[in-house]
Amino acid sequence: MRAEPAVRGASSAPPLPRRRGPIAGASKLIISLVSCILIIAVWEGAVRFGFIQPLFLPAPSQIVNRAMLMLEQGTLFGHVIASTWRVMVGFVLASCVAIPLGIFLGTSALSRAIFDPVLSFLRPLPSMSWIPLSLLWFGIGESQKYSIVFMGSFAPSLLYVMEATKGVDPLLVKAAQNLGAKQKDVMLEVILPASLPQIISGLKVMLGIAWTCVISAELVAAREGLGFLIMNGKEYFQTDTVVLGMVLISLTVMATDIVFRALERRILKWKD
Amino acid sequence: MEGLTSNAVIRFSDVSKSYGSLLALNDVSFNVEEGEFVVIVGASGCGKSTMLNMIAGFDQPSNGRIEVQGKEHSGVNPQCGMVFQQYALFPWMTVEDNIAFGLKMKGQSKAERRQHAQEFIEMVGLRGFEKAYPKALSGGMRQRVAIARVLANSPSVMLFDEPFAALDAMTRQVLQEELVKIYEQQRKTILFITHSIDEALLLSSRIVVMSARPGRIVQDIQNDLPHPRNAEVQLSERYVELKRHIWGSVQAEVMRSIEGAA
Repeated sequence: MRAEPAVRGASSAPPLPRRRGPIAGASKLIISLVSCILIIAVWEGAVRFGFIQPLFLPAPSQIVNRAMLMLEQGTLFGHVIASTWRVMVGFVLASCVAIPLGIFLGTSALSRAIFDPVLSFLRPLPSMSWIPLSLLWFGIGESQKYSIVFMGSFAPSLLYVMEATKGVDPLLVKAAQNLGAKQKDVMLEVILPASLPQIISGLKVMLGIAWTCVISAELVAAREGLGFLIMNGKEYFQTDTVVLGMVLISLTVMATDIVFRALERRILKWKD
Repeated sequence: MEGLTSNAVIRFSDVSKSYGSLLALNDVSFNVEEGEFVVIVGASGCGKSTMLNMIAGFDQPSNGRIEVQGKEHSGVNPQCGMVFQQYALFPWMTVEDNIAFGLKMKGQSKAERRQHAQEFIEMVGLRGFEKAYPKALSGGMRQRVAIARVLANSPSVMLFDEPFAALDAMTRQVLQEELVKIYEQQRKTILFITHSIDEALLLSSRIVVMSARPGRIVQDIQNDLPHPRNAEVQLSERYVELKRHIWGSVQAEVMRSIEGAA
């Protein structure tokens, strides 16, 4: 019946020690730090010595000054928080719908057949294309921002979740049923936790996409947020504000990624 | 039911199973009595896993009837607990939660489950590993968890689908001995599949030998070897005689299937 008797057994062997390159740990950190400082120094120098016009690319010190100024005015964190909040609301809403629906669709061929046309239609639409309709439907308030993030991340999240459920070992479903699990139990107790690693790595990608969505929404119509900051800087030829906005986006996404990863390690501590 | 006497827990009546044009099991009839430890031996592809799958309700016979405790089942029947060759533990659950899974499905409270599971954790010798995840366990320990998980669910029949085939020889021997102990304590009805004649002789109270595809029963032997089946028993004349007897028909079937494949 079974042609591969020992294959599974092999997985119980201790994993090989991870191969490290010639540069590891602390020295890698130092090298990265030095490279970072070097780039900033060259950039600063290039502007100071007149190789680059500050209008086209302001020096790092100018950007820091702008940041300090905005800190004093108390507007800096407002923009960061506004955008982060919009991303979180839209993203969490999208996940809350996409995860259960994706698990349901992933396990039921009939419902998949029903939803497939709608999904195939929604999937290729970039979040930008929803901006006119969302303005019409929700005005220029917060819910319009949420809706853009939602529409931009919902369909791809759903596909990630559906794909993740396909990777679940059918033997685990069999074992659960054998222990008395009903359809609902199989979905909640087996399919969901078994596909969670895949779902989370999908959501990590989605989080990046959600940021793109919110920035594009803010570029078009907003009074606050990092996208607005960039657009506003452009209006007044404040290139330092524009670049500061870009730097803040990058830093915020990095920070959320760190939080997300910590969360992932906690949730997936059973993974090898 | 039709006036049949014995208290058979499992009853196969003229069971056939085909997948498309492939006949996997041909007209099998046999009973397993309460408390028997039946080991089914046969070459690969003789339909022995199919038999287990049909008893557990994962699959339905194409012809004939399968009754478990006098009833035909149309879906998965948790009364027949299955131990799989690949353990099939839930990797996101601790040892304790894996073992308590069936109890959770029955709606027991967390405290009840924990207490109940502890009993079986100790039975299979995994005390101290309650909070460990399967990734941290060896193959032998994983299979212990799987056995405890089925036991905790208190099924009326335990089905073993080549459970020790993926383990090394030493671990296998230890687990075989433990299984015999558990069987002697619990007196569960057990149906166990293997392709090792020695394993069959060590564990069983009865041995059923299957033919190559399409699977039929070619021998049905009461295993009268004395317990415990230690090294001495394994060197006894009766042991060798039984082994030769079984090997004779298994060998013929293996040859037949090789020729059939060629």
